Amino acid sequence: MTPVLEARGLRLRRGAREILRGVDVRAEAGGIVALMGLSGSGKTTILRVIAGLETPDAGEVRAAKAGMVFQFHFLFEHLSAIENVMLAPTHVQRVSRGEARERAQSLLDRLGIGHRASALPKELSGGEAQRVAIARALAVDPPLLLLDEPTASLDPARRNELGEILQDLATSGRTLVMTSHDEDFVRDFATGVIILADGLVAESGLPAEVLNAPKHAATRQLLQVERSRTATR
Amino acid sequence: MRRRTLVAMLTLALAGVAPVTAQTLRWGGDAEGGAPFVEADPNDPNKLVGFDVEIAELIARKLGRTPQFVQVQFASLDQSARRGDFDIGLSGIEDIPARRQVLAVSVPYYEFKEVLTVREADRDRYRSLADLRGRRVATLGGTIAYDLLLEAQRTYAITAVSYDDDVHPYSDLALGRVDAVVLDHVLADRAMRRTDGLVTHPEALATGYYVIITARENAELRDRVDQILRDAMRDGSLETIFRKWNVWTDDQLRLYERVANPSFEAVGSSAATSAATQVGRYLPSLLRAAALTLVLSCAAMALAVALGMAIAIGRVYGDGVTRAVLTTYVEVMRGTPVLLQLFVIYYGLASVVRLPAFLAALLGLGLNYAAYESEIYRSALTAVPRGQLEAARILGFTPLQTLRLIRAPQAFRLALAPMTNDFVALLKDSSLVSVLTVVELTKQTQIFAANIGSWLIPGLLCAALYLAMSLPLGYLARRLEHRWTLPTP
Repeated sequence: MTPVLEARGLRLRRGAREILRGVDVRAEAGGIVALMGLSGSGKTTILRVIAGLETPDAGEVRAAKAGMVFQFHFLFEHLSAIENVMLAPTHVQRVSRGEARERAQSLLDRLGIGHRASALPKELSGGEAQRVAIARALAVDPPLLLLDEPTASLDPARRNELGEILQDLATSGRTLVMTSHDEDFVRDFATGVIILADGLVAESGLPAEVLNAPKHAATRQLLQVERSRTATR
Repeated sequence: MRRRTLVAMLTLALAGVAPVTAQTLRWGGDAEGGAPFVEADPNDPNKLVGFDVEIAELIARKLGRTPQFVQVQFASLDQSARRGDFDIGLSGIEDIPARRQVLAVSVPYYEFKEVLTVREADRDRYRSLADLRGRRVATLGGTIAYDLLLEAQRTYAITAVSYDDDVHPYSDLALGRVDAVVLDHVLADRAMRRTDGLVTHPEALATGYYVIITARENAELRDRVDQILRDAMRDGSLETIFRKWNVWTDDQLRLYERVANPSFEAVGSSAATSAATQVGRYLPSLLRAAALTLVLSCAAMALAVALGMAIAIGRVYGDGVTRAVLTTYVEVMRGTPVLLQLFVIYYGLASVVRLPAFLAALLGLGLNYAAYESEIYRSALTAVPRGQLEAARILGFTPLQTLRLIRAPQAFRLALAPMTNDFVALLKDSSLVSVLTVVELTKQTQIFAANIGSWLIPGLLCAALYLAMSLPLGYLARRLEHRWTLPTP
């Protein structure tokens, strides 16, 4: 099976700091790959490189067209939820407004926020805004969907709903790559995990194996930090 | 020598603040371009020369006082006299009925003719106001000549153009911006010496008189001034002064004879009109001026918005050279007075391009405000979060689409409040264009006030008209903003 995403030897320097020092990322159709690592380990930068927002100093990226859901959503503030979803289909893909509206409404319905279609972004809760952002990214039908910290602003109930949505998307043939701090979420919903440390891949594999029996010191340190953080919450 | 200058300057400075003793006679006039009435001596700018200066000195001498000059803008002389800024005022002040209603006015001391000046080439074509149908005719605002032109505007369909000084009407005549100038012969003679290619028809369009003004409470001083003037007419000292300044005419002898007659009655004292009639007469022109202010402001704002957007986009998206050029433009336009820019565009560029006054005013205001608008748009554009622009890029929008569909609409919402603010400011700043002979609302009010001799009613009417224009705009902007800023849940 050919991978939907194949990135090799990614290197990226920002000023004096080397953020990526030779990273490989691979994802196959229908997979949900999670990037984990301490803050500053380069997770988000990898998503930005895959999305084409940043050009790596070295390495190559072969990826299908990607959609992206930002941690802070970045919805277009002057447009309602449904207009956010319709904008790219009408102006980039030149779909008629009527058809775009119909498709946008069905996407919002599928994500469970069809009733909020006419709300402005500032009227939406964090969870609602995130789903609109997912719908906006899906509206142009990208085979690859990138999500930056999708669980960061969600309570546990919402978190499971999101997981199910992501699994649905994967089942329908889409490939998902996300960054996450949430060990349980990754264990429950991801099909693969990549642990990053100091701009390198520390280890990778199935979530259950990597998270239950970490081989690398960096993974153990990461889990310890995340668990102590969860405990104090 | 140096010490003496210092002492003199100190005395002058102190005189401005120290309580005025009975020994000084404060006399008001306008020395700005005021020859041969009152002007700074070309050899010693600290000294004043002119026939009005010598008449003031004569009066002071006869009263046993020391003359002390008070500089007042020509158009404000009446108001200043009423406020008591000076004891007597003389600076080629004309005898008009409105003046006699509110001030104590002396007997006339000089008779002048209103005369028509044209370009030499038009000598035979334009011989009277009737020949100037549809043409622009210039004069000094707030004078008998201006009233004459307003009358001719109705009867002969000429266009009356009002200036704040008596130099530019003639220079604009030479440039072809106006086709004739009507002013008193004293000013016309002087302009003919200064500017080549002009010719003045000798026939008088009207006759007028110069008088000395004092506040009404000073009627006693006025009576003494009358006596001194009559004496000076009899003993020839007035004639000596006028001859020295080359303005003597034999008309003066006939005037002196009439004035010497104890039953002499001044021209102005008869025709008195009520305030209500005055308002009725000036209201239409005030409304027209308000309409002009509104049209000018809207057009200038449209230019400022369009150009400001282009500058802002150039500064946000452009390369280094573009940014440097645009930044320089903004700094120069913001850093220099708009009044100076208007002068440069209208008078300074006259040798290159002769812009009509309205167009020059529109350009001046528009180009100046474009600098301010561009700063508003630039900061509004940069205030749209980067993340949204990245989201747009990933979705496949071109940079132009991103600007048009996402960045500009949000920036416009942010810019609306400061833009409204600027438009109201522009509405008021448009009064500056009166220096380019455009009679907008403030200028028309000034003319109105000068002619009826009071600022109260014209001022209130003017303020009401400005508010009538700016308040609906503010309301509209607030409603738009409200529609965009829904209450947070």
